[in-house]
This record gives sequence, structure tokens and C-alpha cells, in this order.
Amino acid sequence: MSTAERVVFEHVTKRYPGTGGGQPGAVEDLSLQVPAGAVCVLVGPSGCGKTTSLKMVNRLIEPSAGRILIGETDVMQRDVIELRRGIGYVIQQVGLFPHQTVAENVATVPRLLGWDEARRRSRAEELLQLVGLDPARYAGRYPAALSGGERQRVGVARALAADPPVLLMDEPFGAVDPIVRERLQNELLHLQEQLAKTILFVTHDIDEAIKMGDLVAVMQVGGRLAQFGAPDEVLANPASDFVARFVGADRGLKRLALLRVGELETTAAVTAHPGDDAADPRSRALASDVPYILILDGDDRPIGWVAAAACPVSGPLDPELATAMSPLLDRRTTLKDALSMLLASDVQAGIVIDDRGAYRGIVTADVIAERMRPPRSGTP
Amino acid sequence: MIDVAWAVDHLDDLAWRTVQHIFLAGVAVAVGFVVSLGLSIWVVRRSRARALLLTLSSVLYTIPSLALFAALVPVTGLSILTAEIPLTLYTLVIFVRNILAGLDAVPADVIEAADAMGYSRRERLRRVELPLALPLVVGGLRLASVSTIGLVTISGILGDAFGGLGYFIFDGYRRTFPTEIWFGGIPVIVLAVVADLALLRLQARLTPWARTNQPIDPTLTAAARAGAG
Repeated sequence: MSTAERVVFEHVTKRYPGTGGGQPGAVEDLSLQVPAGAVCVLVGPSGCGKTTSLKMVNRLIEPSAGRILIGETDVMQRDVIELRRGIGYVIQQVGLFPHQTVAENVATVPRLLGWDEARRRSRAEELLQLVGLDPARYAGRYPAALSGGERQRVGVARALAADPPVLLMDEPFGAVDPIVRERLQNELLHLQEQLAKTILFVTHDIDEAIKMGDLVAVMQVGGRLAQFGAPDEVLANPASDFVARFVGADRGLKRLALLRVGELETTAAVTAHPGDDAADPRSRALASDVPYILILDGDDRPIGWVAAAACPVSGPLDPELATAMSPLLDRRTTLKDALSMLLASDVQAGIVIDDRGAYRGIVTADVIAERMRPPRSGTP
Repeated sequence: MIDVAWAVDHLDDLAWRTVQHIFLAGVAVAVGFVVSLGLSIWVVRRSRARALLLTLSSVLYTIPSLALFAALVPVTGLSILTAEIPLTLYTLVIFVRNILAGLDAVPADVIEAADAMGYSRRERLRRVELPLALPLVVGGLRLASVSTIGLVTISGILGDAFGGLGYFIFDGYRRTFPTEIWFGGIPVIVLAVVADLALLRLQARLTPWARTNQPIDPTLTAAARAGAG
């Protein structure tokens, strides 16, 4: 396995001959750094130069000024053919070779690199397996006999064939239907967990950008970088009106989908075990924001809530009284799901449990709202 | 009307005239193909040279064949060149148009993918563009073959040493002997049809990916067939 390499844009500019700046596809003084193994999504409206930026990495387009480094080397210093063989490339129309079988398509770069037949075949089979296509069924087919989603999988397999440290993807899922797109996105994320390639990914879809990117580079027409940062940062603190409009009025909701319960500071509920004396928990619950007592079993697993108002003043707590329930959340639940479950529950507090199902704390809508509030300017 | 005895008597002549016919047509088609392929590849990304080549080959095609054969006699004498030069020139317009159309038909995304994978220009042409242009190129080959097989007949105007099967047609006409005209004419048609069908077969062989009824899943299709049968 080759390791991933960082990709660095240093003041990269691409102008097309004609009228000054601002032509579609032009890029103006783009500087950004994608660390090795990260997914960086270039996102923006059409004509913003995102595809141009991508194609300058493998020199399908050559910059007018500035440098692009892969690792430590300026791409312009390398032999263009050798450079391209070391960079995976996936495009929306896939661009499979119609006259070659799936296996031959996948083995394109290995063949160019002079691998022998047996090695090419075993590599093609390994990659088809990796992208979820059974080699026995698919290796010998021609692209014309594949569905759109299958073609795109073959395209990804072909891009990965020579194990390149960098992968360029230009709207790779733009031409498939939404259900297949969602599945391909998830598969790519899953694949990336094992591969840890440096991926530059172009899309015009902000939701896709937020979902796929470790980093998001928002570009605006004229080829200017409007904002560069982690998806949550871009959603929480849009750098300009343009970015705010581009990410959408519902950016708060988008952030909810991005954040998980594990990132919240949970608060403590008033808890008790069946048979405990009611007096103390009752008075504490009445004094708290959530006037309920959470009954836990012997393993600290939640049984249900007893309303403090309906609880006897003293005497042993009867678990039969614990009739109200609220959603069980674990650290991987997204805040969007958590909030939506909270809105429908009896008690406005989600119970956070660990992997064994034991109580760890509670999450209220207030806590979620607090986390969503953008940090005040001036604070680090 | 048809003098069968004469025909049977001249089967030997028919055989060697057929061979001559195939030879004259074959050389013209082969040379025309190689020249056109070279020229087409050279002009495919040069718009002015391309327009010039297309115009020139079209203009050549408008020259009446009879006139061209006759016009060459003072230059090349009664040599094989006098027959082959016009025959070859007439194939150019067919080949050039078809080869260029074939190369133009290669999808842009396939070219982009090939470049991005690290094909050199030459490898891309050899492994991607030419194979994908093949259906239209072979289409040109079929058209050129049929047309040239017909034209070889006219080269009979140059004398007994040329013309292939056309010799019989000219001779029969001169002698007002219809049997001989049919004797030469029908095999010309047969040759053209056979060449066309053979090349059609060749095309199917060479382009298995272009079959429209390609089975999605061979096992499934076999099962479906068994079920239907």
C-alpha cells in the first residue's frame, strides 16, 4: 500500500485568454492545504472554477501561475504521463472504455505500468470485490451491460487500481439517482476508512460536501476561495454572505445532522433504583429543570421516568409508576435524530446510554441549542 | 439467348479474370485505406488541413472515372498504375469521411479518462480511439470495397490486360454478345455482395462490445432461453 500524500495549492491562478477576470472556470489565487489522508470537497456554483482546480492537479489543465504540490513535489516538475498514472481520477460520466471488459477497464493503469497479466487480473478481482461487485459475475462484462451505479463503482475501482496516494473525483455521483447516490456516498466513506487516501472531491451540492468532506472549500464565481474549513465550522460561521447563502438558510439543521451526541456535555438527571425511599429524589426532582425521577435497574439501565408530582411523598419507590419514557441516545446518534425524537417524547430529556445500555446522563433541547450557538466572535 | 456452351467453355477465363478483379480492387482498397488512415489521423485535430482534405477528396470523387483512366494514359502509359491510381483516389473520400466520423464519435469523457489515466497520445489512439472508431471504419471499408469492385470493371477501357471481369462486359458489348455481358456482370455483383457480407462479419467479430443484444447475465439468458424453449 502506498501512503497518502498531502496536496497543496499555492497561489494557483488560471486565466483564460479573453476579457479580464471572472470567466467561467477561471481560478484566482487559490491557496489551500489538504493534509495526507483527508477528504477535501471543492464546492460552489457552476463556473466557480472547482473543476478547473481539480484538473490542474493532474495537469489536464495547466495553471497560469502558482504551484500545486503533491507531497513535496511541484506537479509541473514531474513527467505528465507518470504523474497521471499516480493519481486516481473519477468523473461523472465515468468514461469507462466501452470496448474493454470491466476487468480490463479496472486494470488500465496497471497495464500502462507494465504489470503482467496474472498480477493485473488478481488486482482487478481484488478491486471489484472492494467496490462490492462480484468478480465472477462482472469481470467479463462490457460497460454497456452495467447499470449507472455499477459503472460508477467500476470507475472507482479503476481509479484505485495502481493504489495512487491521491484520488481526484469530479462530481462522481452526479449522474445517478438519489438512492444510488446515497449508497455510493456511504460506500466511499466506508472505503476511505480503510484506504485513507487524500481525496479531492468536486460537487455543486452542499449537502454532499458536508457529508463527504473532512474539509470543505467553498468557491465562488471568479474562482475565489470563499471559505475553507471543517464542515461544521463552515456551517456555524459562514465567512461571508455568499457562503451563508450558499450553505442555505437551514444551515443550523445541517449542522445538527453533522454533530453527534458524544460531542455534547450531558447533564445529570435525578436517578433512583426501585425500592429506594422516594422522599429525597422527589424533592430534588421538584427543584430541578426536569421534574422527573429516572428509575434505573440493577445494571443502571433506564426503566422509565416517574413524574415527581405523581410520586408518593415518602416510602419505597414502585417501578410500576415509571410509565413515562424518553428516547435512548448513544454517542453516535446525530443531534438531528436526537432532537426529532425529543420533540415526540413524554419527557423532554434524551437518556444517553453507553454500549452496555447503562445510563450516562441526559440531553435536553436546551443543551443541544447551547451547542449549536455559534461561538462569540473574539473567543478562540 | 444465353449461350451456355460458350459460358462453360470460358470458365477458365472467368476464374483468372475473377482473380485479376479481386487483385485490382484489393490493391486499391488497401492502399486507399492506409493512405486515408494516415491522413485522417494527421488532420483530425487540425481544422484547416481537415477541411482541405475533405474538399480535395470530394472533388476527386466528382471526376468521371472513364475520363480519369483516359487522362492518365499519357502519363503512366498502360501500366497497372493507370488502373490503380484512379481506383485508389476514389476510395479516399469514403475512407477519410468514415475514419474521421469514427474518431469524432469517440465520447469526450472516454478521451478525458484515457488522458487522466496516463495514456500517451499514441497509446490513446491505438488502444482507445481507433478501436472505438472501428464500427464506422469498417463501414467505410464495406462501402469502398463495393464501390471499387464496381469501378474495376471500367478499367477494362484500358485494354485487355485490365478490367478484371469488366473485360467480358466490354468484349460482349463490342461483339453484341449478351451472354458474355452477363458472364462478366453477374460475378461482379456476386463479388460485391460477398465482400460486403464478409466485412460485416468481420466487424461483428472485431466489435463484440457493440452488440446491442448483449446478454446482461449469460447464465440468466441461457436459463430464460431454456424456459422459453
